[in-house]
Amino acid sequence: MNDVLAGRALAKRFGRTVALGGVDLAVAAAEAVAIMGPSGSGKSTLLHCLAGIMKPDAGEVHLLGQRIDDLGERKRSALRRTRFGFVFQFGQLLPELPAEENVALPLMLGGVARQDAVRTARQWFGPLGLGGMEGRRPGELSGGQAQRVAIARALVTKPAMVFADEPTGALDQTTGHETMRLLVEVTKHNGASLLVVTHDPDVAAWCDRTVEVRDGRLLTGGVAA
Amino acid sequence: MNLELTWRLLKGGGRRGLLGTWLTLGAVAVATALLLFAVTANFAFQSRGERDAWRNPVPAGSAATAVQAARFDYVRDRRLVVVDVAALPGRAPAPPPGLDRFPAPGQTWLSPALAALARELPADQFAARFPAVAGQLGEEALAYPGELVAVVGHRPDAPVMTAERSDDWVVGRPPTRVADFTGRVSEDAQAYQVLALIASVLMVVPLLVFGGAAARLTVARRDQRLATLRLVGATPGQVVGMTVAEAVIVAFAGAVAGTVAYAAAVPLLTRIEIGGGPWYAGDLWPHPLLLAGTLVAVPLLVGLSAVAGLRRVVVSPLGVARRQTPPGMRVLRVLTLLAVLAAFPLVGLEPSATVIAVAIALALLSLNLAGPWVVGLIGRITAAFARGPALLLAGRRLVDDPRSAWRTVSGVALTGFVAGFLGMLSPGAFSSGASDAVFRLAVPEGRPAVVAERARERMRDAGLAARVEQAKKLVTVTVTGIAAPATGDPARGDTARGDTARGDTAAGEGAAGDGDAVDAAVVDRTRTALAGLVPGWTPTSEADDQRFGFQLLADVRVGTVVVLAVSFLVAIASAGITAASSVLDRRQTYGLLRLAGTPLTVLDRARRAETLIPLTVMGGGTIAAGVFCATPFMLGAPNLSGAVMLGVCVALGFAGVLGAGALTRPLLVAVTTDPSPRPD
Repeated sequence: MNDVLAGRALAKRFGRTVALGGVDLAVAAAEAVAIMGPSGSGKSTLLHCLAGIMKPDAGEVHLLGQRIDDLGERKRSALRRTRFGFVFQFGQLLPELPAEENVALPLMLGGVARQDAVRTARQWFGPLGLGGMEGRRPGELSGGQAQRVAIARALVTKPAMVFADEPTGALDQTTGHETMRLLVEVTKHNGASLLVVTHDPDVAAWCDRTVEVRDGRLLTGGVAA
Repeated sequence: MNLELTWRLLKGGGRRGLLGTWLTLGAVAVATALLLFAVTANFAFQSRGERDAWRNPVPAGSAATAVQAARFDYVRDRRLVVVDVAALPGRAPAPPPGLDRFPAPGQTWLSPALAALARELPADQFAARFPAVAGQLGEEALAYPGELVAVVGHRPDAPVMTAERSDDWVVGRPPTRVADFTGRVSEDAQAYQVLALIASVLMVVPLLVFGGAAARLTVARRDQRLATLRLVGATPGQVVGMTVAEAVIVAFAGAVAGTVAYAAAVPLLTRIEIGGGPWYAGDLWPHPLLLAGTLVAVPLLVGLSAVAGLRRVVVSPLGVARRQTPPGMRVLRVLTLLAVLAAFPLVGLEPSATVIAVAIALALLSLNLAGPWVVGLIGRITAAFARGPALLLAGRRLVDDPRSAWRTVSGVALTGFVAGFLGMLSPGAFSSGASDAVFRLAVPEGRPAVVAERARERMRDAGLAARVEQAKKLVTVTVTGIAAPATGDPARGDTARGDTARGDTAAGEGAAGDGDAVDAAVVDRTRTALAGLVPGWTPTSEADDQRFGFQLLADVRVGTVVVLAVSFLVAIASAGITAASSVLDRRQTYGLLRLAGTPLTVLDRARRAETLIPLTVMGGGTIAAGVFCATPFMLGAPNLSGAVMLGVCVALGFAGVLGAGALTRPLLVAVTTDPSPRPD
């Protein structure tokens, strides 16, 4: 077993609604997994439980063999900051900061000096096709460019896992495909695993494996073959 | 249709949308209540001035029907006004205000508070000064509730109506032949009206800024939605119409709520003692026209501010839908402020109330104009030197939206100007420890010996120990306590001083030394014993002479405290509402940052720094500007009490703004614990 992240028998309720009804899901090292399902199926709840954003009512989550779902909020928060990276649909960039400082922010939050953090952040712009855009603010970037900045920010701390929630939801098809290609490639190139929540089969097709969630249960592919 | 859509959007704004609406409504309510107070205060001073104008006689020629004079007397350390009146032969003057008939010679009318004192105190301490009380004065004769006033009737040829008196208005009014008792507003009442006007300007300008800020907050929360409406084809007119309608609906509700709050506060406000006493509730009720004007003007102002705030959306919908680098602000803003400050020393050359009021208003407005520019500069400096994420975020946000940051601190900053200005204007400390046991009586030339002898007799008859001295036009009575029991001839031997007459009475047990304080009962017995000794003149002590100065000092302090209290209420409410709105506006970003593991403390520290840094710089700057502007009008050197007041203001301002910001932390926690990363 070389699972980076594993959720076992995860269950979560919101009032009478069962969001997760005992889900098992494991992600191997440098593996890209897509979670698909219709709206309200529980796919985002599953991502939130696995990422330590939300505590499951039952079940366990392990990161590199260490249980993380029973950690306190402070430790889970630190874990998200240092071991995980996040890419959301939109709005995750701080509009006040130029692109390079958006990317440098997680490093600074981890205690890296500002100059070093910005220097490290700049190294990500070239490979992601963002050369020359370091000083631009998010409002001055296209949707695809902004998502590439978000990818750089998710990976700048060298995380073990990257979580992406509908990363191409706000992009046109061509830009969406290009963004997914970059996300998968760069994540794997950095040795990280990727978990993508999407309802788009074309997006899921970029991943190594797709699991389908419906009514809080996994229909297929919970464990790597 | 626009109105219907606006109403539906307003109602359907969701919990957070409604919270924003309530915040705006609350802000407008606070602003309206304080605005009513600031404006009504002027009318209150005007009413008070008009009510006591009858005591300030206007000379009349052949149309004269009566003679009127006034002087001040004192009882239990309080000043009372004694108005002497006499009908001229063959004339039937209308009675003065508050009297049902013209007082016949020897008759006295007392105000209710004075009548109560006359009943409470032994006759030899007060009542004996006015033996024939015929009635009580009505409210229309009094400047304020509890005022001590006596109206005494005389014959027109009585010495009190013919004797020469001082024409110094601080002492009283000399006998004047009058046609009626309309009078004219006194000089001190006019001075108070001017001070009230200046205080109103100091309060109203920050209030207007606050009201405008509240309106812009409405727009700030709505701009995304309105930009969307523009993107789907709404015309600028439709967008403006909907925004104005929404702002006006909320502002009208806020103005009504503020009016109700003000009405509820009137009983408390009447207790503010200034100019000698508290207020009649009627003085502080706004005139119906003023009320109607406020209920129209406040929503109108809020609507106009909303339009100004919307300009960006209307001109370019993408300007809001997609955040871009904000255009730099013109340095002209700071140059305007510098020009106004440079002109202030010129105002001091020829100070008039109107010029001072206009200059203060201009200074406040130009500070408000320059504020965002300076905040932007502070932001650039902060971001350039920031090492940690909190300061970097704070600095970048200040650069991104300096107007919003200025709105948070503008209240305290403008209050800092008010505090700096008034702190320096506080009159210096008056000398204290003045004796209330040495009474001086102005005496016509050639009469001191007779008056001194009568004073000795009266003091002896009253059983008081005193030394009586005479000068060319002055008799001095130094009371030392209760007289010792008489043993044979009460008169003692002559003293060595040539100007001291015989017959001084010796003090008994517990007597004070010369000029030392004696108890209030002895003071009032002395006043009563010496009453009417010289017609038209009241024996006064050094403490009495300083009473006017103390009154002025106390009134300036009360006025300052009132102005600062209003300003701080505005500032702190402004800071709280802006902080809450700021959290609501950024809830999506805050939520996503938290999801990505950003500690709440970093977000909170950034928020605090975003307020604290401009507050420190701008607060310090505006206090300095206030001190600078007050310099041409300073009464002598700066005093300790002014400096203490400034210190208290700074501490309260910081604590209030930080406290208001801290109160919104639960809101920050709430929006960042929302697990949904999607916008609502």
